[in-house]
Amino acid sequence: MTPFAEIIQYIISGITSGSIYAMVGVCWSIIFLVTGIMNFTTGEFVMLGGMLTWVFLGAGIGLAPAVILAIAATVAIGIIVERLALRPVRYPSEMTNMVITIAAASIIKGIILITCGSETRVIQALIPVKQISILGAIITTQTILVIGVLAVMAIGLSLFFNRTLFGKALRATAINPKGASLVGIRINILIVFCFGLAGGLGAIAGIVIAPITFTGYNIGLMTGMKGLVAAIVGGWNMTGTVLAGLGLGLIEGLFGGFISPGWKDAIALLVMILFLIYRTISFSDGVNKV
Amino acid sequence: MKASNKFQVYIPWMILVAIVIFLPVIISSSYMISIMAFVALYGVLAIGMGILMGQAGLFSLVQPTWFGFGAYIAGILAARGLVPPGIGIIVSAVFVALIAYIIGAPILRLRGLYLACATFGILIIAQISFVQLGELTGGHSGLLGIPPLTIGGFVFKSDLHYYFLSWALCICCLMFCSNVINSRVGRAIRASHDSETASSSLGVNIPKYRLQIFILTSVMASLAGSVFCFYLRFAAPSIFGFHLLVELMLMAVIGGVGNVWGPLLGSFIITWLQEILRAYLGHFFPVMTGEVTAVFFGVFIILVLIYMPRGLVGWVEQIFRLGRRIYEHIKSSVAQ
Repeated sequence: MTPFAEIIQYIISGITSGSIYAMVGVCWSIIFLVTGIMNFTTGEFVMLGGMLTWVFLGAGIGLAPAVILAIAATVAIGIIVERLALRPVRYPSEMTNMVITIAAASIIKGIILITCGSETRVIQALIPVKQISILGAIITTQTILVIGVLAVMAIGLSLFFNRTLFGKALRATAINPKGASLVGIRINILIVFCFGLAGGLGAIAGIVIAPITFTGYNIGLMTGMKGLVAAIVGGWNMTGTVLAGLGLGLIEGLFGGFISPGWKDAIALLVMILFLIYRTISFSDGVNKV
Repeated sequence: MKASNKFQVYIPWMILVAIVIFLPVIISSSYMISIMAFVALYGVLAIGMGILMGQAGLFSLVQPTWFGFGAYIAGILAARGLVPPGIGIIVSAVFVALIAYIIGAPILRLRGLYLACATFGILIIAQISFVQLGELTGGHSGLLGIPPLTIGGFVFKSDLHYYFLSWALCICCLMFCSNVINSRVGRAIRASHDSETASSSLGVNIPKYRLQIFILTSVMASLAGSVFCFYLRFAAPSIFGFHLLVELMLMAVIGGVGNVWGPLLGSFIITWLQEILRAYLGHFFPVMTGEVTAVFFGVFIILVLIYMPRGLVGWVEQIFRLGRRIYEHIKSSVAQ
């Protein structure tokens, strides 16, 4: 492989994982914008998508029903987390909510560990595998599927948020919850919907990436954190998050390829910390938002 | 303050010291003594977490990392024979204080959730570095060959020695923290937690005090970590990771963060609960790691936050207040 083809290959793998970070980042920002909760179970939704598909495939039903069931189950789990863990708290503060979601994440992770074991799992490719050669680098159809799903998701969400009444209600709630409830938007239902939506999108991300990078009970933490980095760096909006996710994936792909694959995971978090510090420094004279 | 009140302040401390001294007399099982030593060490960590969360309102998730640094630095220095173990503990504490200063100075200016995210990032980065710096730390398989702790010719070798060492450390930290909370720094910290704008407009240098508290808790955690590594004579990256964080959160939350004693009580409950879970649930589950017990701890955290938001100590205080009210009510009705 020529050095040029090698770079292309790293860029492709970077964009693939970047698409996943972008999808996960969108899940974080949907919940954060509407409820102000940083939902640390987001990463576990991704893990659940892959693992539940594996479980349902093992039960002997076909691929399509397994995928649909896994997505439905993750949506249900997202709603359960909101209903059983977050809703009953009487005086929720940012910190209480965060501790609760971290606890919920460790519950989900532990249950999957107990029921499915600690081995890495593989699920079959969702579409027929074909390899396409671009400039000496190899790209599989599964990779194209991941990028395609991200594109569909981004376009679909932006249409949903800008063109439908329900989406507009969500945006209104994100801007001003009290005002939104005054004009008759039922916020409680919207919050449940957001958790369900985040669960569903997270599960889709987990399912499309599972044939490429495999899945296991412990992938949730790192995937979730990288999605969080994308969401924070992207400023919690859709376009920014998608761009930040792709950028993060590129940095990681090139860094992992040329410098050190072991330190790859640390880079994303370092980017987040430096970004947060940069924000406080650059805004410290005026607004102190971060 | 009246003389009797001044005396009353010392009663809980005397009870704690008496329990610590007489416990080994009552129970001779070295298993229980070793668990009690861990209660003290995790207690130091949880107390630090409780002060940061409850008093200062800083949601710092980096406490397990300081614990890990304390363990690894002291362990590596002792295992390589660079400095005597006793001095290694101090060296690691100074080093951790320095890192905490460098990291804390920029990071503590972040607000609420963003501080939590950044410190969580540091926690994971530290864990990755413990694995990646394999030639120094032993990588995944852990740091081996740590000699027992020797201070001035005295070799700490039995469980009982470490029990007394850990509890001495724990009581010193507890005392120091409860004094700090009632000092000028503590008042400033609490004021800044209640209203940052109001306290800084009154001239409280919030970043300075926050940094001081942050460094204090990091040094405490580092000391506990050093004792921990000499006791286990082993350190592995997985010890200082996510599930230790969940346990510490649970300790702080279950005991209540409004009071320095709460997290210590939480540490006692959680450490024993973990042992009980390990002993009895081991029959049901094929794998019994920290991640499985984390399921139960997660459930506990959620239940405590929903039904006992101020923790056990807050709950006990509430009962005491209720009892006093009933007592006064009865007294006044009897007087009538």
